Amino acid sequence: MKKFVYTLFIAFWASIGTLVTVHALSSDGPEASAAAVDELPVYSLEDIAAHNTLDDCWMAMEGKVYDFTEYIPKHPTPPAIMEAWCGKEATEGMRTKGYGRDHSEAAWQMAEAYLIGMLKEE
Amino acid sequence: MPLRWLKSGQNWMIAAICLVLVLSLYGAIQVDWTDAASILNYLGRLTGILGLALLLLAAALITRVPGFDRHFGGLTKLWKTHHLLGAGSLVLLMAHPVLLALAATDVSLSAAVTLLFPPLSNWQIWSGWLSLILMMIFLAPSFSFFGRPEYQRWKFVHRLAGPAVVLALIHAYQYGRTMPAHAERWLWLLLSILAVGAVLWRFVFSRRIARLKYSVEKVVAVANNLVELTLMPEQRHLKYQAGQFVYLVPYDRSLSAGYGEEHPYTVSSSPDEPVLRIAIKDLGDASRAIQTIQPGSLVTIEGPYGDFFPANGNPKQLWIAGGIGITPFLGRARYLLRNQIPTDVHLIYCVQDEARSRFLDELEEIAKQLDGFNITIHYFYRMGPLNAEFLTEHCPEINQRDVFICGPQPLNNLAKRLLSTAGIPGSRIHTEEFELL
Repeated sequence: MKKFVYTLFIAFWASIGTLVTVHALSSDGPEASAAAVDELPVYSLEDIAAHNTLDDCWMAMEGKVYDFTEYIPKHPTPPAIMEAWCGKEATEGMRTKGYGRDHSEAAWQMAEAYLIGMLKEE
Repeated sequence: MPLRWLKSGQNWMIAAICLVLVLSLYGAIQVDWTDAASILNYLGRLTGILGLALLLLAAALITRVPGFDRHFGGLTKLWKTHHLLGAGSLVLLMAHPVLLALAATDVSLSAAVTLLFPPLSNWQIWSGWLSLILMMIFLAPSFSFFGRPEYQRWKFVHRLAGPAVVLALIHAYQYGRTMPAHAERWLWLLLSILAVGAVLWRFVFSRRIARLKYSVEKVVAVANNLVELTLMPEQRHLKYQAGQFVYLVPYDRSLSAGYGEEHPYTVSSSPDEPVLRIAIKDLGDASRAIQTIQPGSLVTIEGPYGDFFPANGNPKQLWIAGGIGITPFLGRARYLLRNQIPTDVHLIYCVQDEARSRFLDELEEIAKQLDGFNITIHYFYRMGPLNAEFLTEHCPEINQRDVFICGPQPLNNLAKRLLSTAGIPGSRIHTEEFELL
């Protein structure tokens, strides 16, 4: 059993190391997406309101617009929780999860993968 | 049958793990089974929950309340369970972040890496990391990652388990969403209470209540590396059964090592003697130093532990002792003689050579005075390893006996193999191991 646990101990660090290395080598870093923010299209709240179903779900949060259609099946809660915010300004939902607790920094960063535009300032 | 099932501590552990698994199945409802990332994410959460449950169960087992270990078949087997739970916990908790990160690669590679290494402000993740790193540090010696550890250092490093468990709980408390309602919080609360209770008993209450004071009355050198201490109770006398063991802490300032340290030793006296006798062979620094303990000095005794000889066992028995493994049998033989208990016991005493047949004179004397108690001695240097012919030749009606084995691990394994080949069922073979892990 000692050998088994030791093998997995090595495998653990090998997997973490591989993941970090591949990430460092790939171009899909956060810098790339940050640079492109200025060139993103601008949407109004009316534009967003048209995408209010599970099959086509946009949300605005903190001045940015996201298309979460692809992400909803991967979200840990039942889809209905996110569906309630489709087509809306959803900062409150993201910040409170409905019971006063903000999403983690990791979750906020994850959302950036679905960024499609900026919210038009009213 | 169901009642007997409930008596086994190992079964309690299995039941607890099954309960956690069933509660976690609730989270499976939300899983999209056609999406690999969704499955990996669920497995990632599941391994986290199970890993923490195993960690807390392992912690709950350290209590060492005398008698509790008998549900596990003795303290050594209880520790095996603890060790197994610890190993399972480490394996699951290592899989936990890897699975979650792999699930997040579906979003993007940077999402996966951010999940693993978020900004420092995300203390929920970092507390999990710190806990896992501490686990790797305190479990490294337990699994000999970097060679065999020295006992006291291993014990010291193992204390990191405390902060590791606390950090793991802080981490888990932030992410309870796999079980219905707030079941996760209740589960962690319940298991933490068990674990905290165990730690309090072990490190606070047991030191005040369970440690009995004795003074060293006599030190008999049985051989040049073996002493038998005779201990006189200062207040209350320990209640125990023959063949059980205790934790002894010596308080003799003249000792070169082991002052104030607890070490396990087998009781060699009969339970009805007014004194406690403990045979100690020098196997490590502390047990070597204790060979010269001063008569009149104080020791504390905590116990008894172990579950070697069942209370109403089969009277037809075969005992196989190897080296210092003779001590539990010596205690039992003294008990049988003092109480003239009718018996049918055959002892096979395996030693290297004549110089190492400790206590043989006394055992032969007992054999003379006690009907039904017989001894055969087996010398390794002359006869080689124990074999099936030797057993059947010297021990009559071997198939009708319950067998008790105590000796070094290789002898225990060899004897068990010979006996099961001879058709003796495992339920009739009882072993007591000295080496803890």
